[in-house]
Amino acid sequence: MPTSLVQAAESAAESLLSLEVIDSFVEVRTGPGRGYPVFYVIEQGERVDVLTRRTDWYEVKSESGKVGWATSAQLSRTLQASGEPADLPTVSFGDYQKNNWRVGFAAGEFSNGELEGSDTFSATASYRFFSWGSLEGEWGKVFSSGTAGDFYSLNVLLEPFSRWRFSPELIVGRGKLSLGEQPNLTALGGSDSSFTNYGLGLNYYLGRNFVIRGEYLRYSVSTDNDKVNLDSWKIGFNTFF
Amino acid sequence: MENRFQHIFLIRALFASLCLLAVIAPRAHAQALTSSKIDSEFLEIGFNAGIVTIEDFPTEFAWGLNATFRATEDFFLQVNYMQAADVALSSREKAQGAYYTGSNRDFTQYDFLLGANIFQGEFFSGQPQARLSSLYVVAGVGEVSFGEGKHFAITAGLGYRIAFNRRYVFTLDVRDYIYQASLTSGDDERTVNNIYLSTGLSYLF
Repeated sequence: MPTSLVQAAESAAESLLSLEVIDSFVEVRTGPGRGYPVFYVIEQGERVDVLTRRTDWYEVKSESGKVGWATSAQLSRTLQASGEPADLPTVSFGDYQKNNWRVGFAAGEFSNGELEGSDTFSATASYRFFSWGSLEGEWGKVFSSGTAGDFYSLNVLLEPFSRWRFSPELIVGRGKLSLGEQPNLTALGGSDSSFTNYGLGLNYYLGRNFVIRGEYLRYSVSTDNDKVNLDSWKIGFNTFF
Repeated sequence: MENRFQHIFLIRALFASLCLLAVIAPRAHAQALTSSKIDSEFLEIGFNAGIVTIEDFPTEFAWGLNATFRATEDFFLQVNYMQAADVALSSREKAQGAYYTGSNRDFTQYDFLLGANIFQGEFFSGQPQARLSSLYVVAGVGEVSFGEGKHFAITAGLGYRIAFNRRYVFTLDVRDYIYQASLTSGDDERTVNNIYLSTGLSYLF
């Protein structure tokens, strides 16, 4: 980006973001949702100030002082003071998520090994350093035969086709698992064991800030004597901001 | 021969610049609407209180806290904590003595929920100004600690929210915590339902 544009963008950053409408009109609603009524229309060539964002909606103020909500899709077809488009519809999920935090949870089941049939859920937080890669911290619970165990892990997520709506993901990580004392589990119960996990996930982007992830993971758990393999599937819901 | 080299170089240069454009151009524009000067309202912190009916045990006063991440206009993610302290004796315990004591008599619960706004609209309370409202359903997974042990629990619920003003939201919720337990001694594990009726207040950041 040329320096003059950077400076223009920086000076604009001090006040409100002001955009020029290039669509023939922008519909302004009373609330941030398609169910709320349209009460005003901003015409082509008018300028709007962008005040607030809620999900895919932006609160805008027209030149005449009317305040309401417009979709991000309509606002993407507006121009900044510098003459650049405010956003591009072609910019896709991976780009949009870059340098963003993502939080969510997942629920599933262990499908084989000593924990077969055990329910599990976990909470995750991740930061995306590149459009194709992020680092994720995960904390979760396993429930088997009346007792509960904890696990936590640090995962690297590689998502080479993050621009696609359906986008596959490679998951590799390390962590610790601690299960309570229980009679049924011989190798795993009673102590902390470290594990390596790897697996495949499939992301489905629903809107720009919501992603549903299905994943299949193999945990290779080191115990005192040998290694135990556990497989699990999960479905997760994540939002990023 | 020279021609062929030039040709290859030209194609390479063209290809490289196209790649560069494809990589740089969209990103240069993309951040404008997401820039930090726009206040992004996506997080709600809430407090709620109400009554919880614990299966086989008396109904108790309970309170809870939650954090809601608004993901799209239709969906949200929510993390909840709820507790009812020192649950009174069940009818069987009154006859035979308490099965659980101390912190085992506290009903505590947390869960992770996916919520969907199914009916969004405006609520008119007699004033000219409309208040944003929504009827929503939630479902998710979590853990209940009551009696002995911790249990994997499924949560399902229905709620209604009205925004008092820009920041404060009033909520009404009914939620069922469903899990497998043998709380009264001698029984085999069976499914128990625990229904939490609550009203709450949330603050939108």
